[in-house]
Amino acid sequence: MFVTEWNSSALVKAATKTGKKKNSLTPMTFSLLHATDFADRLLYNIIPPLKAGMIVLADRYAYTAFARDFARGVDRRWVRELYSFAVKPDMAVYFRVPIEVSTDRLMARRVKLKFYEAGLDMGWSSNAIESFRIFQGKVLDEYDRLVEEFGLSVVNAVGSITEQQRLFRRLVSQHLQIEETNEQLDEQLV
Amino acid sequence: MNSSTSSSSDAPAGGIRPGNYYGNGIPYLPLDGYPGKIIAIEGTDGVGRSTQISLLREWLEVQGYGVIETGWTRSELMQPTIELAKASNTLNKLTFVLLYATDFADRLEKEVIPALKAGFIVLSDRYIFTALARAGVRGVDRTWMRNLYGFAIAPHLVFYLKTDEKTLIRRVLQARGMEYWESGMDMKLGDDIYESFRAYQRSLLREYASMADEFGFRVLDARRKIDVIQEELRRQIGAFLAETDTTAVRSEEPALTNP
Repeated sequence: MFVTEWNSSALVKAATKTGKKKNSLTPMTFSLLHATDFADRLLYNIIPPLKAGMIVLADRYAYTAFARDFARGVDRRWVRELYSFAVKPDMAVYFRVPIEVSTDRLMARRVKLKFYEAGLDMGWSSNAIESFRIFQGKVLDEYDRLVEEFGLSVVNAVGSITEQQRLFRRLVSQHLQIEETNEQLDEQLV
Repeated sequence: MNSSTSSSSDAPAGGIRPGNYYGNGIPYLPLDGYPGKIIAIEGTDGVGRSTQISLLREWLEVQGYGVIETGWTRSELMQPTIELAKASNTLNKLTFVLLYATDFADRLEKEVIPALKAGFIVLSDRYIFTALARAGVRGVDRTWMRNLYGFAIAPHLVFYLKTDEKTLIRRVLQARGMEYWESGMDMKLGDDIYESFRAYQRSLLREYASMADEFGFRVLDARRKIDVIQEELRRQIGAFLAETDTTAVRSEEPALTNP
């Protein structure tokens, strides 16, 4: 098993950092930098474990880019073509929450929203929370479209972690055709 | 129009509209008939692009045109990363291509589009064709590359300074010697850097040649003297500007600063 995370490659770290610090990223350069990061991880972290017969757990995948970049005004078809070098995942799970829950959870997590996270680069609102709500609303709408387009499995992420994990494991088990291990999960989460 | 030239065609090939996006473009930046013009000077290493550009700039500014220059990997955002990536050995053909595209996008949005809007002439030292040629040689999918650069703006004029393998090699060796990437050493064509350089540059020349019709290059023989080439460039650019409505482009006085 191998885990890979969105935007974690060393290659584009410097540019992303510079761009974020100066708030100088545009929707296009934001999109292309993330695609570069993805390409780097695909070739070094995703394809080799797959070749070795391992399971790769990817924390976010190209769908994140499809949703966010479109919400920022990038051409929908262009982003899909951009990522056409990506390996199509055997299974993609979307943890869905309504906008209110998404906002509440983010508020609870920390005091200040980051500039790009809040979509402040779009100039929709100078208020970070309001801006986040608008931006996230667009992102969530686009995810709904992606669920249809790419057949993503949906987990209702409003429920408890235990409930979500149970459903998640059932989906994965079905896919991998292995026995469910709910007893073990209950022990872990008690 | 003046007498016949060595240009491959006067208008770029089918479907391409100068001053507009090649593909769907950037939806949040519609190009509403901006008055500025893009003139791209393409060609391999050692064909004298930068010399020609600085001479053109002077000539245009004297006539009262506002001019800005933009060049490959010169974006503030990407230059340090590209330098760093080239110095390390983790770069592969895909990330190479995407870093270049990011640099191009940054310059397009921050320099080129504002300049077009303000009626400047943008002199571009290399354009997307350099990216297409380098990726083509490395076997990156052609259709994917063209889609990727669908956000680029088709220049009003593209001059391709064409040379041959022999001249190219001599000029590069004379100027600064061979370098890892421009010798195509990443392609592992062999351990001999000279042979690798030759094979790589030969393939590049083939790639450029294959794009001439597709993108309507005006081909100039780069083996001629600097002033002969400059004269030809000025003649063609002069004719183009005279044909176009340049009232919005030319200012009362020569521009002193960038937009």
